[in-house]
Amino acid sequence: MDKQLNDAPCGFLALSEEGSIIAANRTLIKILDYEPEQVIGQHMNMMLTIPAQLFCQLYFFPLLKLEHHIEEIYISLKARDGEEIPVLINAIARHDSGASVFDCVLIPMRKRNEYENELLIARNEAQEALLAKQKANAELEIALETLKAKQEELLEINKQNQQFKLNTKRELELARKIQKNSLTEPIVNDQVQIDSYYNASSELSGDLYGYYQIDEHRYGIIILDVMGHGISSALITMSLHPLFQRQITQGLSPVKVMKELDRHLHSLFQNDEEARHYCTAIYLEIDIARQRIDYVNAGHPPALWQDDSGTQHLLHATSPPIGMFEDLEFQSSSLSYTEDGRLLLYTDGVMDPTASCYLFDLLKDHPDSPIADLKEKILTSLQHQKEAHHKSDDECFILVDVK
Amino acid sequence: MNEAILSRNHVKVKGSGKASIMFAPGFGCDQSVWNAVAPAFEEDHRVILFDYVGSGHSDLRAYDLNRYQTLDGYAQDVLDVCEALDLKETVFVGHSVGALIGMLASIRRPELFSHLVMVGPSPCYLNDPPEYYGGFEEEQLLGLLEMMEKNYIGWATVFAATVLNQPDRPEIKEELESRFCSTDPVIARQFAKAAFFSDHREDLSKVTVPSLILQCADDIIAPATVGKYMHQHLPYSSLKQMEARGHCPHMSHPDETIQLIGDYLKAHV
Repeated sequence: MDKQLNDAPCGFLALSEEGSIIAANRTLIKILDYEPEQVIGQHMNMMLTIPAQLFCQLYFFPLLKLEHHIEEIYISLKARDGEEIPVLINAIARHDSGASVFDCVLIPMRKRNEYENELLIARNEAQEALLAKQKANAELEIALETLKAKQEELLEINKQNQQFKLNTKRELELARKIQKNSLTEPIVNDQVQIDSYYNASSELSGDLYGYYQIDEHRYGIIILDVMGHGISSALITMSLHPLFQRQITQGLSPVKVMKELDRHLHSLFQNDEEARHYCTAIYLEIDIARQRIDYVNAGHPPALWQDDSGTQHLLHATSPPIGMFEDLEFQSSSLSYTEDGRLLLYTDGVMDPTASCYLFDLLKDHPDSPIADLKEKILTSLQHQKEAHHKSDDECFILVDVK
Repeated sequence: MNEAILSRNHVKVKGSGKASIMFAPGFGCDQSVWNAVAPAFEEDHRVILFDYVGSGHSDLRAYDLNRYQTLDGYAQDVLDVCEALDLKETVFVGHSVGALIGMLASIRRPELFSHLVMVGPSPCYLNDPPEYYGGFEEEQLLGLLEMMEKNYIGWATVFAATVLNQPDRPEIKEELESRFCSTDPVIARQFAKAAFFSDHREDLSKVTVPSLILQCADDIIAPATVGKYMHQHLPYSSLKQMEARGHCPHMSHPDETIQLIGDYLKAHV
């Protein structure tokens, strides 16, 4: 080995194909703190750390064998005292009298190694941060997708709900029309004038009324209020309707009419206490010829009779509401009159919060107003009441002038 | 599907014959490590060469961080290739960890393999005293990982991107083609962990396919004691001591390697 190579500012190593050390320059031997005779002929592994031995087996030799040269391979040498010396190796494969020889140049890189260590740590940290960020992003995206799906689901449900509401509203309006159609038309003749008002709070009403001319001199007037309002109450009133229509037009007495309605209600809820509804009602029969009113008031707010002189009589309850007690005996009452008078029947929807009927005063104040005008006045007053008390109940009243 | 697997694992089929022989590289290497050995079998065999996903010219996009956490993921690569080529009773020649990968594949689908040739195998690289000496302490293997990592410095960032879901960068492919035995450092590190930190001693007794163990001299990666251990615990195995030294006889001593494989197949097939 010439002097220049021997003392070059880098290590030099010639290896056999199997890794035996054929030659090593002084610089390298000095770095490792060996004597030349301790090195020559030995396997390269003697100057390598275990990881470096592994690395050389896995990469260094196969690479050299296949590509005939390698550059900038990093390994760590092991000096005699065990100290590790990081080096960079460049090597070429060369043919020398039929055998392959690997010539290697080794440059210690202690400082650069430290720097690279720090770079690696920084890179690993950055990589972990990147992975964490990607993971978080992926999770967020999943969350976003889920949210979107839920939102669409909600929109769809809302749409169905809207459609359902629309259908229900249409149905309710139709039902309300049917209910209204069952109401009787005003009666005007030389004996009586009967007019009425009817307004359902929620499309369908639990109130219902009817008035009929029974025969030449007699008129039957009924008003009833099934507890609650809405569909269930309306269904019950509608089931009572044909019943009282038939009873009244047949001319049955108030007690019998009420008894039949009571029986019907009990039969409706015979097997279902939870669904039980009761109902307040007044049925009165006016006999023009005998100038007499027979009536049964089943728990209903009192009807009002105002005679020609403006004196008011209340037709108070004569029995509890119907549908409440089985086998109830209804009591009837009667009122005789000698001159013209005016009757008012109503449901609790037109009563004020103190449960007295403010319509009484209205009647008193306008004894001579025709029924049509009085009705207008009542409606205006009702409107004021509604605004004042934010009430929302079924409203219904009947005005009768007996001539 | 078949075409997809063949391209994914960069499968090459050469030669002719009824019998087939499959060569599997060891850790981190591609199929070219068999260049000096495989052609000798082309005359009377279908010779199959392939790269594991993540190595050589395989399709990096198919790399799955979960699947390739263990050698089983690589064994699935072998089974996929066998199925794609409709191989049955093939001879499997594997180097180093490649031998273990083939062994694991044969446990799952023994009917696909007729014989295993294991070049420098080890069921476990870590020492487990007092009964087992794999050759290495944990920190030494960690030192290897560190050294691998440092040899990737400079191009590590480019490659790290591949496993971080950016597989469509053309320069990555180019880099891989230009380097033998090099893989993405993230993949190589994972492969190294799967290869060097696994313990498959328990699996040896499950093998039913007959095998030949080729043991090199002076092999620090798979020392003679490990070869002996393999032979003792592997049913139907033969052990052959080689003249070759080191860990890669198929590269350093291709003639002897060819001779020993040929002799074994002649005697047993």
